[in-house]
Amino acid sequence: MKLARVRTIACKEWREILRDRLFFTTAFVVPLLIMLVLGYGLSLDVENIPFAVVDHDRSALSRDYVHRFSDSRYFDFRGYATSERALDPLLADSRIRLALIIPAQFQERLLADRPVAVQALIDGIFPFRAQTTKGYLSAINGQLNRELLSDYLARTRGLTPERAAELISPVRLQQRYLYNQAIESDWSMASGLLTLVLMVSPAFLTALGVVREKESGSIYNIYASTVSRGEFILGKLTPYVGVSAFNILIVWWVATEAFGAPFKGDPLFFFLASLIYVICTAGIGLLVSILVRTQVAAVLVTMVITFIPAMLYSGLLVPLESMGPAARSEAYLFPPVYFLQIAWGSFLKGLGIDALWFQVAVLAGYAALLWTVGLFAFSKRPRR
Amino acid sequence: MGEAALVNEALAEPVLRVRGFCKRYRRRSAVEGVDLTCARGEIYGLIGPDGAGKSSLMKALAGVLAFEAGRIEVFGVNIDSERAAEKVKDRIGFMPQGLGLNLYPELTVEENVDFFAQLRQVPAPALAERKQRLLKITRLAAFRARPMKQLSGGMKQKLGLVCTLIHEPALLILDEPTTGVDPVSRRDFWAILTGLLRERGITALISTAYLDEASRFHRLSLLYQGRLLDQGTPEQILARTPGSLIEFEAMDAGRILSRLRETFAQVEGYGARMRVFVPGCEPAQAKIAVTRALDGQFKAPLRSAEPELEDAFIALLNERGLVADDTRLRLPTDPGPVSDHQGQAVIEARGLCRDFGDFRAVDQVSFRVRRGGIFGLLGANGAGKTTVIKLLTGILHPSDGSGRVADADMRGAGQTIKARIGYMSQAFSLYQDLSALENIRLYAGIYGLDRKTTAERTAWVIAMAGLGGFENTLAGQLPLGVRQRLALGCALVHRPRVLFLDEPTSGVDPIGRRRFWEILFHLSRRDGVTILLTTHYMSEAEHCDQLALMHAGRIVADASPQAMILALQAEAGQLLELEVERPLEALALLEHRFEGVGLFGRRIHLFASSPDAAEATIRTLMQGAGIRLTALRARTPAMEDVFVYRVLALERGQGAP
Repeated sequence: MKLARVRTIACKEWREILRDRLFFTTAFVVPLLIMLVLGYGLSLDVENIPFAVVDHDRSALSRDYVHRFSDSRYFDFRGYATSERALDPLLADSRIRLALIIPAQFQERLLADRPVAVQALIDGIFPFRAQTTKGYLSAINGQLNRELLSDYLARTRGLTPERAAELISPVRLQQRYLYNQAIESDWSMASGLLTLVLMVSPAFLTALGVVREKESGSIYNIYASTVSRGEFILGKLTPYVGVSAFNILIVWWVATEAFGAPFKGDPLFFFLASLIYVICTAGIGLLVSILVRTQVAAVLVTMVITFIPAMLYSGLLVPLESMGPAARSEAYLFPPVYFLQIAWGSFLKGLGIDALWFQVAVLAGYAALLWTVGLFAFSKRPRR
Repeated sequence: MGEAALVNEALAEPVLRVRGFCKRYRRRSAVEGVDLTCARGEIYGLIGPDGAGKSSLMKALAGVLAFEAGRIEVFGVNIDSERAAEKVKDRIGFMPQGLGLNLYPELTVEENVDFFAQLRQVPAPALAERKQRLLKITRLAAFRARPMKQLSGGMKQKLGLVCTLIHEPALLILDEPTTGVDPVSRRDFWAILTGLLRERGITALISTAYLDEASRFHRLSLLYQGRLLDQGTPEQILARTPGSLIEFEAMDAGRILSRLRETFAQVEGYGARMRVFVPGCEPAQAKIAVTRALDGQFKAPLRSAEPELEDAFIALLNERGLVADDTRLRLPTDPGPVSDHQGQAVIEARGLCRDFGDFRAVDQVSFRVRRGGIFGLLGANGAGKTTVIKLLTGILHPSDGSGRVADADMRGAGQTIKARIGYMSQAFSLYQDLSALENIRLYAGIYGLDRKTTAERTAWVIAMAGLGGFENTLAGQLPLGVRQRLALGCALVHRPRVLFLDEPTSGVDPIGRRRFWEILFHLSRRDGVTILLTTHYMSEAEHCDQLALMHAGRIVADASPQAMILALQAEAGQLLELEVERPLEALALLEHRFEGVGLFGRRIHLFASSPDAAEATIRTLMQGAGIRLTALRARTPAMEDVFVYRVLALERGQGAP
């Protein structure tokens, strides 16, 4: 291994990254864009659910019932519809996601202490959103029921309203959210997105950087010279790992500053763990570049093998616990699972090396494996 | 000791030895059983069209491609593994195919050179010295700080050569270093190579698709579709393929050509000049055969001329039955357009300019093409040929100047022009996944032909392009020559009056090219179609009625090929060819005495304004140095000579380097 040659290749690569506008963008702008676009766009909070109401009663109580929804930040009241029939096109066009149908005699029956049935039509296309909507509905509706019940108790038993309220909820649930107190999905999403960005960007850079030389034919300069495989791979990949190390800091900063995620862990530990992750994902790019010959193929393959594990099998969108056993064991085959645990651990839980050493060790193992396979699979005398 | 003996001795310990080389890509066989030996100090040529297997062989020799069967020895090392190949790589300089494609566009000239040098661990003092020397002889010294992507094609190629030479390899492997390069740069390239041969005794293996470059090599191998056709010195190959070339002038070219084609396989018309190769005959017998074939219909003096390697190449292919598509062309006549008048300009460019940012791609280009004329725009990659076509077809708008095509102003009448012209682009503009028939129908549909006309024209295209039997083959699977004729047919489907062809023959083998020219000639003469085409094959230029040489966006000459050659002879003098012993020494003696001195294998070319005085001077010089002069004769200059002379004269006039 001649360090001078490694340096020569690394220098050349570095110059190309800085001077080639497209490559510069891929290196520095794309990671930032993914972070911002997905960070803002991929919020899992369900808020402002548009809804409409058919009120057959038009009484003070029915209006009060509707107000309980329209005053909440979870619902966005779009107006009254004249009949059930008028709701169909609104639901079909997704202009509303929820419709409430209040029957006639709503007020009359309630005042007479008789039950009424309100119908809620929920758009069920996206189950997660429908579930959440149902949860909000039940909560608001339950609150009303409890109020009605405590009123009744106060009226019939001569109790104070406070005592009546205590009686109907003898067991109070005191809940506190840990790590993300406001359950802001932005916090979790922003810190979790590091997993995606630092998976996709180094892999793309490496795969494109090597395949681009294959496509243009400049790879023959390497093949035809006495540069060893190790020197080439080290020289070629060092600048990409360097760029990605810089990007770690950038996306970290975006997560805390732009999305307000707290960072509670050890910065040095997190940086080094991220560096190992980046070396590992650059190794994925290296393997792709060995398998394919055109930049188009490199983009497609890298996209599939980085985006899907990082988005769907990391626990970022779907918790691992809610995956089937097959999907879960599949998820543990990909590095993002481990890095997500490091990222959330460092950002939200304030964990350090003593709690996360296993995840770091797995990533380091992956990195060593990928680079070794890359080194042996790369040939200076290929078959085609 | 004579040079032949030297070569024989060197061959005992060759630099390259190839035995039974085979290369397959998946199931497709690219090279089958090639043998080759190359001695130290030889410039060895691999000649063949695209798909001949040149690149595969060269990559395998450079140790950068694994192969399936056979044995390759480089400097006595058996190249059978990556490890073995590593042993010889420091002595090899390999330049892959593609103009400057292996260089780094974002790096400057100097950074590119430094990168290659540091890869090869050239020590700094040696690097400084070599860099200075190499950049000077390639005339790139002034551009050290310029990014490589801003160099012209010829400069890129020379920079590629500098980068390949920087570690002073003993063996150079250069894959198509001259394809698409302007003739001046190409001449520079050969001069540099000659210098290296003289000073360092290097060995070079060079591939080319230009058969007219064959005379530059000491020895060569002719390759075709992965097989070796013949090998030896150019003279040996010509001698092994006996035959005579008969030339004559004829007015009624079209009729005489079809008559001769009934008897002879190798007939060509260059304007009024007919050229017939009669295989296996002495000139006298050949003349009798041609006279008999003409059947008394034509009486004019027949001349015999020296056959060229291309004639031998085609004769070899015919002899071995290797011609890929042997459909005989039946050229149908076309009623043709009626409104044009003979002699009127159908294409006219007046002071056309086109800028791309700061870069002027086309500069003050003016010319006229008459109805039924074949007009050739000749120039290197990047000279501006394609841009001129795009301007005339209304695809691009000119920055200045104007043009008329088929009675329509190209500025205002984009659509009108498009209905009257046919355009075939460099990439052949075919849909690879459609069959031949579907492609033709698609083009008929695009031009809005009705059902009846479509059927009529489809039949015409199939007959004209010799596509019988290929109707349902996917375009992507057609042999290159057939695909090219299909593209031509598609461009002609709406019966245009003017045909634009952008590098129509690039990469096609000589037989395919000749067929193509047969069709073009027929279209122009019988159907009165006006044709404008671009090419970087200098040897093809002589097929045109009128030529414009383009260099750096400008037209440097515009006349008929014959007129250009005559003008060159009048200005620069007679082209002389010398055969001498020890040509490298002779070259050094002659270089400063005459214009245009160049080495062609073992022969020397030079220009002399008064041939008799020159002959006397040459004889004195050779005698003084004790070099035996075996032959001295006059030669007709080629188009390439014209081009080089014109461009150099232009540069001298501008005081450019």
